[in-house]
Amino acid sequence: MDIQIIGFGVIGQGFVEVLLRKERFLKQRYGLDLKVVSISDITGTAVEGEGIDLRRALEVMRQTRGIINYPGARKMTGVEAIEAFEADAVLEVTPSNIQTGEPGLTHMLKAMGQGKHLVTSNKGPLALRFRALSDAAKKNGVEFGFEASVGGAMPIINLAKVNLAGDEILAIEGILNGTTNFVLSRMAKEESPLEIVLKEAREMGIAEADPSYDIEGIDTAAKLVILANALMGIDATYRDVKTQGIRKVTPEAVKLAKEDGYAIKLIGEVRNSHLEVAPRLVPVDHPLNVDGILNVALLQTDVAGDITVVGKGAGAIETNSAILSDIISIALKRGLG
Amino acid sequence: MKISLDLELKDVPGQLVKALEPVSRMGGNIISVVHLREELGKGRVPVHLLFEVRDSAMLDAIIAELERRDIWVSKVGEFKKKEKITLVLVGHIVDTDIRDTIDRINEIEGVLVADLKLAMPHPEKESSALIDIEVTRPEKAKEALQRLDSVAREKDLLVIRSLRS
Ligand SMILES: NC(=O)c1ccc[n+]([C@@H]2O[C@H](COP(=O)([O-])OP(=O)(O)OC[C@H]3O[C@@H](n4cnc5c(N)ncnc54)[C@H](OP(=O)(O)O)[C@@H]3O)[C@@H](O)[C@H]2O)c1
Repeated sequence: MDIQIIGFGVIGQGFVEVLLRKERFLKQRYGLDLKVVSISDITGTAVEGEGIDLRRALEVMRQTRGIINYPGARKMTGVEAIEAFEADAVLEVTPSNIQTGEPGLTHMLKAMGQGKHLVTSNKGPLALRFRALSDAAKKNGVEFGFEASVGGAMPIINLAKVNLAGDEILAIEGILNGTTNFVLSRMAKEESPLEIVLKEAREMGIAEADPSYDIEGIDTAAKLVILANALMGIDATYRDVKTQGIRKVTPEAVKLAKEDGYAIKLIGEVRNSHLEVAPRLVPVDHPLNVDGILNVALLQTDVAGDITVVGKGAGAIETNSAILSDIISIALKRGLG
Repeated sequence: MKISLDLELKDVPGQLVKALEPVSRMGGNIISVVHLREELGKGRVPVHLLFEVRDSAMLDAIIAELERRDIWVSKVGEFKKKEKITLVLVGHIVDTDIRDTIDRINEIEGVLVADLKLAMPHPEKESSALIDIEVTRPEKAKEALQRLDSVAREKDLLVIRSLRS
């Protein structure tokens, strides 16, 4: 199976590392030979019909931070690379943009238009144009894998679509952002204010330099939209979510809640076609009360009852578990070696 | 509906069976019987009965039958389970008139602010409060939360609700 990678940052490079690590396993277990034929980032595109030298690509990034420095790389954009080269699938892992969905949206529609399967962890375009993207996949007869866009390594999309194929998902609630979960867990433990804990999280590399997407609930809202569309068939976009972040949560509020047997968590919830993100009181013995950077989701279903999944919501390597699982299932379904 | 009945039985053997028999025969579903051995005077002893009936017509028929059997019904009540809503408020709770906030929730029939714990780190800073609201009419719970939301919006308070409420 020939793959083009668009975006070569944390997740793109993590994918390549996982490929190197799992090469033999994939061959032995699935007879799968995954070949990366091009890699594009903001600086240009490396291309190699016989497959990019992945170790070399990582080395180039370590030393120069731009794929343009790979031998023979060209000044060519991701869009041009998708148009110019043959491949079975595109892995779209550029930054999430919740205002316009770009550049991901264009990459995705272009790839599908070229008859290429699409795998992504980029939630921006999905939160804004889910319907358009899934229609484009159908129209072009290609697969659309986005397990990694929600909950990182935590399996949820394929869990619901495959293992719970006969169930209706009646409601979903969960912690879909590791940074806010870390911050609230720490506030409860240390009784310190949000700003202090956030600073600590930044130093540990858990929060980004500008953590407002996480703290204001925007990231959770985007993921909630993807779940509502993919698992419940609700034609919602990011703008339909009632969103309240955690910036106003005080250490005293956390303490009062704790003394009464509750944890405060940033919860995303879909119920009766209503999408909401807000800090909530979660009983300490409730399955959604998980601490640290973990993500968790509870699916209420009509046959199975309640199903809860917990897992790492981010990480260069962990997130690639989800990406790899999408790629393998596409390869198996479409008979690609 | 769940009914609680206080009965006064003659203090002679066989009276309890005489009281319970019509309740189940006429369709009531007995949940509990508390037989107190204290004397009420007049040769009567009290019994507390909790049971379910389909509707008030069934209840009326049962009470009529009990009275026909010379069993005094001293108190009839519908038993209502209290629902507790716990939530946390954050903001300038005191400065924005905490009494008014509570009153506007209590205005709703069957809804009562039963407990409030306040934490004020500093008079100028935002305070936090844990609030228990008791609801005896479950259909009013949603109205209470909506009222609280609109008061909170007006006073710029953050409401942290419990899961699934
Ligand atoms: N990190 C995680 O743990 C995680 C988990 C789940 C999902 N995700 C999602 O996965 C996606 C990738 O995340 P990441 O952490 O890998 O981000 P990242 O480290 O910022 O990497 C993004 C990459 O895309 C490149 N890029 C930007 N604009 C481009 C364009 N127009 N054409 C081609 N390449 C372009 C960037 O190049 P420059 O750096 O040169 O600008 C960079 O190589 C995001 O959508 C994110 O939300 C991340």
